[in-house]
Amino acid sequence: MTISNAAVRAASLTKVYGEGDARVVALDGVDVSFRRGELTAIMGPSGSGKSTLMHCVAGLDRATSGQAWVGDVELTGLADDALTMLRRDRIGFVFQAFNLLPTLNAWENITLPLDLAGKRVDRAFADVVIDAVGLRDRLGHRPSQLSGGQQQRVACARALISKPDVVFADEPTGALDSHSSAELLGFLRRSVVELGQTVVMVTHDPTAASYADRVVHLADGRIVSEQLATVGGA
Amino acid sequence: MLRAILRDMRAHPGRISMTLVAIVLGVAFVVATWVVSDSAAETVGNANSRTDLAARVSSPRDTELTAAERDRLAALPGVQRAIGVLIGHSSVVQADGKLGDTYWPGEGGTNWDSSARFTLASGRGPESGGEVALEQEAAADAGLTVGSSAKVLNADGEPTTMTVVGIFSYRKAGASEVSPAVAYDPATAAARLGSAFAWIDLYGTDQTQIASAASGALGSGFDVRTGAELAVQRQQQADEEAQLVRNFLLAFAGVALLAGMFVIANTFTMLVAQRTRHFALLRAVGARRRQVRRAVLAEAAVLGLVGATIGVALGIGLGWLTMEIIPTTGEAVVFAVSPMAPLVGYLVGVLVTVVAAYGSARRGAAVAPVAALGTDAALPKRSLVIRTVAGCVAMSAGVVAVVATSGPALTDAKRAVGMAGALTGWLAVILLAPLLASAVLIPLSRLVSRRGSAVSRLAVRNAIRDPRRTAATASALMIGLALVTAFATVGASLTSYITGAIETDVPADTLIVQSAQGFSSISPTLVEKVRAVSGVDSVASPTESFAEFTHQGREYHNTITALEADSLGRALTPVIEAGRADLTQGVLVSSADAKEQGISLGDTLTINGVTAPVVGLYGESEILHGIVVNKTLLPPDPKSYLGAVYVSGASRSALDAAFADRPDIVVLDRAGLLAEYTEPLDLALGIIYALLAAAVIIAVFGVVNTLALSVLERTREIGVFRAVGATRSLVRRSVRRESVVIATYGGLLGVGVGILLGGVMQHVIIGTPIFDLTIPKIVVAGALGGMIVVGVLAALWPARRAARTDILAAIATA
Ligand SMILES: Nc1ncnc2c1ncn2[C@@H]1O[C@H](COP(=O)(O)OP(=O)(O)O)[C@@H](O)[C@H]1O
Ligand SMILES: [Mg+2]
Repeated sequence: MTISNAAVRAASLTKVYGEGDARVVALDGVDVSFRRGELTAIMGPSGSGKSTLMHCVAGLDRATSGQAWVGDVELTGLADDALTMLRRDRIGFVFQAFNLLPTLNAWENITLPLDLAGKRVDRAFADVVIDAVGLRDRLGHRPSQLSGGQQQRVACARALISKPDVVFADEPTGALDSHSSAELLGFLRRSVVELGQTVVMVTHDPTAASYADRVVHLADGRIVSEQLATVGGA
Repeated sequence: MLRAILRDMRAHPGRISMTLVAIVLGVAFVVATWVVSDSAAETVGNANSRTDLAARVSSPRDTELTAAERDRLAALPGVQRAIGVLIGHSSVVQADGKLGDTYWPGEGGTNWDSSARFTLASGRGPESGGEVALEQEAAADAGLTVGSSAKVLNADGEPTTMTVVGIFSYRKAGASEVSPAVAYDPATAAARLGSAFAWIDLYGTDQTQIASAASGALGSGFDVRTGAELAVQRQQQADEEAQLVRNFLLAFAGVALLAGMFVIANTFTMLVAQRTRHFALLRAVGARRRQVRRAVLAEAAVLGLVGATIGVALGIGLGWLTMEIIPTTGEAVVFAVSPMAPLVGYLVGVLVTVVAAYGSARRGAAVAPVAALGTDAALPKRSLVIRTVAGCVAMSAGVVAVVATSGPALTDAKRAVGMAGALTGWLAVILLAPLLASAVLIPLSRLVSRRGSAVSRLAVRNAIRDPRRTAATASALMIGLALVTAFATVGASLTSYITGAIETDVPADTLIVQSAQGFSSISPTLVEKVRAVSGVDSVASPTESFAEFTHQGREYHNTITALEADSLGRALTPVIEAGRADLTQGVLVSSADAKEQGISLGDTLTINGVTAPVVGLYGESEILHGIVVNKTLLPPDPKSYLGAVYVSGASRSALDAAFADRPDIVVLDRAGLLAEYTEPLDLALGIIYALLAAAVIIAVFGVVNTLALSVLERTREIGVFRAVGATRSLVRRSVRRESVVIATYGGLLGVGVGILLGGVMQHVIIGTPIFDLTIPKIVVAGALGGMIVVGVLAALWPARRAARTDILAAIATA
């Protein structure tokens, strides 16, 4: 595995919460890299540090020690504004719930990262993304007028619209029924295959993990295994 | 149950403190205004009274009180001292060589004595002919201090130069006493003010004995009052003055109260809205609706009580500070807190909070228990139907009342109905504010959606997210601003009305000679003096008296204005609406009077035995009144009122030179004359603006509160916004813009309502059509510009808070 092949990389990443009795080591010297153009699933039991890992490599939180890179940018030491720009321009996010701004309609939510960057929307690419998530007739709707599955798909479209280096999804299907889950996962999968997108997805659901190219297992803040998955099989 | 609520309160100190701040500020400003009105009233009431007199003897008839009477009174048993008080014409020349208009010169001079009438502020009493003591306000007006030389005028108009040896403040007894400006030593006083005493003050211990002895000694025809009687009179008069002051100020306390109510109610509503999930959880684990409702009300009562206590204390402090800061001349400032002040404070704090909480408590209790499970727990939305219907009804009633009374013929009843209609309309706007918020802000939002950046879009959308909340916040601002704008509109309309009236009557190059004492009558001998000034082309000296006249066999009364026939069209140019302005052929009558008394052009009038035809009708005028007659036809009595002499042709410098030796006479140009009319108005408006500031300040805190609580409410959204790439400064900017939108909306509402309210007010006052108003451009621009500044300032803290939102805490799935 070469560095150029990694979209995101972490070296000896450690995250400690609290002090004294309340001290929790959420990440314990994690070395990991997520490859370009692949869908990587991070799996592990609840409390194993999956979200923490994602937050630290996505520039949402700062590690206690160790390093993390997105592409060739090292995150540790970046100021808040620089981290924010990085998230805006090079990272896409899908959270478990509450992904969207309630006052913006679907289209405005999708294009929000571009709006914030003051960039023009690439209409052709936007069409591709919107058709892929199947939201063309819902673009004028507010989040409150959309179902949970539709809301998550809007979040996915938003994550992709800026053609980021990597999309992070933290339990994106956690609040969805199985049908909507399958739709969403299918969509993430296609974004990797058809658009060459890099996706890192946190999940504890084996069904979800089965959409991945590669699965990284975490337990007690450490990587316990890393394996190729049988793509597309459930 | 209560414990659960109290725990929840403790868990969210931020929200609780915001609510407390709203209550504290609302209460504090109301209490402060109350304390200021109490104190101002007491200050006016207590001001400069004295109670050291045993009795006062005065002669209401023409009998003179002289040294002989004084000596007889002094010799009475029990009388320790008898002081005859001389009161006469005296006034002090100011730095500009003219008399000031603060003091009534007719009663401006008195004799110095060692009684409690005078309290020396500095220096000593006058002892010889060249010395005077001055009342401190008079001294301050003239810019004189101990040691300076003062020019003092008495009745003969000749200025005497004297040395100021003392500055005093004056104490009054009884109701009719006026504070003099100048005190002379006894001999000088007798020489300048005459020998007849205005009254004689008797000092001693037994008031009734002295009074009855005085009555007995002088016989009837003299008025004898005991010191106690005078004190009662004085107190009554002072109380009346104090009541006027109090009522005036309390009106403003009421306005502050209204604004405070909005802010408190709105804050509490938000507080409850934010705890929906908590209530749902309580309901889910078995709390009954009534229990939730009671707990919320109990919480409101506790918050209200705590807030009111702090607010009352703060308000009293604020009131004290205001009384300390207010500039006063001489009067000892009394700081008074009546029991009503804290009572009103508690009433406002507790009652308003509980009433505001009641609606919220009901809705809080109505939360479905399942709401606890959803991610987006929200209160059931309140319908705006009732409010909108009520608003529309009020608006229609208001409009009907205003339109029905919009005609030019106004009676007091019509004025009252018109004013009530305008206020009802104002209330209606408050009721309709949520609807208006949507009506105004949705188009703005559309525009911003198409044109604006993501940040502006979010800001505007957030502002209209809860129209009720935005409306309540903006309404609080609107209350103060509407009144400021309304008064400014009245002021501007009155000013332009007066300006218009004077500018039509008085040509731009006409000069005006009048009394230094504003509109006091001047001597008719001045007219000849003016005429003698070189270059004078025409002189108008409208001299007014009230007289009887006969028209078609019936008798009427009206003002008769005697005027030089040749001045019309030259020194004065009144608008002639019918006929000719030729006083040599007959008289002129004002159109309004002609209409009222049924006089037409060509009718003959008999005035004081002289019969003349009506040759012209003149329009509305500030200078000519009633029936204008030729001065040679009906020479006026020398005691008639002559307010000013209007001169054309002469130069300003020539006139100034002619009256350089007359401190009691000033020469003005037209602009100066206008200022005489408008300056008092501007001063009154300035005071009104200052008093309305409290309401505006409360409302500004309301904006801060709304924003801060909204920011708390949107923690998650802000987290997402930050996660997908909004920098801290963008978050700050979006809160700031939201704040500016809300404040500007309040400003627009306030200015709009204020102008209409002002239109009705000026119509009610001067009878001009409602839309014949003058928009006070500076105040309007200031109000709108000010609201933008207010928006930015109010957002400072909430925006910082929003920018500090912890992204992870916000997006964590809880
Ligand atoms: N803000 C925090 N403060 C303290 N401990 C935390 C915090 N966030 C996470 N943890 C702890 O860190 C560990 C890893 O958490 P997390 O990464 O959320 O696990 P996962 O996403 O795998 O369920 C857990 O033990 C959790 O309790
Ligand atoms: Mg997690």
